Amino acid sequence: MSGSIAYAANLSVTPAGRIYAAVKPILWLAVGLFAVEVLVMAFEIRPYYLPRPSAIASGIMATPGAYLAGLWRTFLETALGFLAGSVFGVVMAVVFHRWLALKELFFPLFIVSQTIPVIAFGAVVVLWFGNTLFAKAVISFYISFLPVTVNTLLGFSSVDPRQVQLMRSFGARDGQILRRLYLPAALPQLFVALKLASSLALVGAIVGEWFGDTTGLGVLLLQAMYNENVVGIWATIVVSACLGMGLYSLVSFAERKIVFWGGEQ
Amino acid sequence: MMERAMALTEEHLRGPAAGAMGLIDLLKPSKGRAVAQVPAKLETAEPTDAGKPLIELRNVSKTFGTVKALQDLEVSIRPGELVTVVGPSGCGKSTLFNILAGLEEPDPGNVLRHKGISSVASDLLGKVSFMPQRDLLLPWRNVIDNAILALEIEGMPRGEARKQAMAMLPEFGLAGFEAQYPNQLSGGMRQRVALMRTFLFKRDLMLLDEPFGALDALTRTMMQRWLLDVWQNHKRTVLFITHDVDEAIFLGDRVLVMTARPGRVKLEQAVDLPRPRKADIVTSPEFIALKKTLLEAIEEESMKSFQVAGY
Repeated sequence: MSGSIAYAANLSVTPAGRIYAAVKPILWLAVGLFAVEVLVMAFEIRPYYLPRPSAIASGIMATPGAYLAGLWRTFLETALGFLAGSVFGVVMAVVFHRWLALKELFFPLFIVSQTIPVIAFGAVVVLWFGNTLFAKAVISFYISFLPVTVNTLLGFSSVDPRQVQLMRSFGARDGQILRRLYLPAALPQLFVALKLASSLALVGAIVGEWFGDTTGLGVLLLQAMYNENVVGIWATIVVSACLGMGLYSLVSFAERKIVFWGGEQ
Repeated sequence: MMERAMALTEEHLRGPAAGAMGLIDLLKPSKGRAVAQVPAKLETAEPTDAGKPLIELRNVSKTFGTVKALQDLEVSIRPGELVTVVGPSGCGKSTLFNILAGLEEPDPGNVLRHKGISSVASDLLGKVSFMPQRDLLLPWRNVIDNAILALEIEGMPRGEARKQAMAMLPEFGLAGFEAQYPNQLSGGMRQRVALMRTFLFKRDLMLLDEPFGALDALTRTMMQRWLLDVWQNHKRTVLFITHDVDEAIFLGDRVLVMTARPGRVKLEQAVDLPRPRKADIVTSPEFIALKKTLLEAIEEESMKSFQVAGY
């Protein structure tokens, strides 16, 4: 799915090639699903273990409204937490980069904060902020900022010191060096973290919903589990997977547009 | 485009135009080409006096821990000169450059005069256009935006900076390449972009640290001839580090030979070859004689640095 655009760019010679490149992932997905369908029937696997893909599809189609509402809600929580986490992560990296003393003081705390299991932390967050969208976004934020900070710092440290000297010989101030050199140079590393953070943020949102809510993919998952609604569980997994892949492709798409030079330094 | 290039060139010229300059003028150390260089952003734009050195170093030493990189170095460069520096590797050439670029402070007790005014090295930050060994182009900036980096830092609006750079492209053999990115360019072209960046940052003194060191021999000779053309058009004061004696003679008005570490100036050799210099000058008897003198001096120093390393 995420590769389709890259393929399209490579094979843009003929229109037919372009169309093939665009539908190729969908084609393979269809083939895969069909194979699972056939295997489930051939080996008579009980739906309790693995329902047929067609059954999952019709499960979703039976109540599309519930899944769409859940998808939208979880998307909002994830997006909010992800964006806040990314911005905070980059800002903290800049702060740590410019004031090394602050890094020595607070960076260990950052690491420690991540050793507290998000589940334990989630209960407190829900107590503080109630069963709101905001509470879930906070949990998403909490588990997504650290990789962003760590990778941005890594990107900063990959800057060639001779490059910094050159900028200084031009009379550049710290802020100019940060904006024109450090930040762009860290982009390739930053995007690695953003892709990771997008998946983590989704986990945070779903786990957050388990502490109590009325809509969302996490809620659907819990309900299906309590009712032993196997098709419902699988349907929610599929929808979550689509959301996760969608977010990931969005970030990869932005990466290809922004980091066009491919991280060569 | 050509017109703009010419206009820009004339802006930097005071005194006779390069083309009209006679041989005598070229060989005379000053007068004709004394003024050389007036910075783009003029503070006080009065032309520097002909005889007065643009930059003068005396008793300059630099110690890193227990290693003495430079000792009692004396260098003075007159406006409009192209001075080349050769010496055995590790003789502190790059340290000298870092001091002149304002990036490194020499040990106390030195004299550093910039336009006759006593200064500390960090005063020179932003006053000298410095080109390090590697091109150090930013991969996310295209040719034009890499070239204007220094102008942007000075605070010139991008549009105006780009216009200046566009006018310079043909002279640097980069016409039509303004929108290319560094990873699409050959080594020689990348080096020319870096040189263009240095030229656009119009300062009294240009420091070039082995700019052609990484290029193949053929590209290198082309670039040397080209650099001389550009230098004669723009009349800049240049200090040029190289480890190639031919290059040092071919380009320089004077060649400074540095001693093995700790670096001092061992020999200061004037190069009285006529300008403009053609490629075949390297086979002339005068050139060969100069080369012999310089090679002997360098050889002696290289041996010394081997002996030091040996024990």
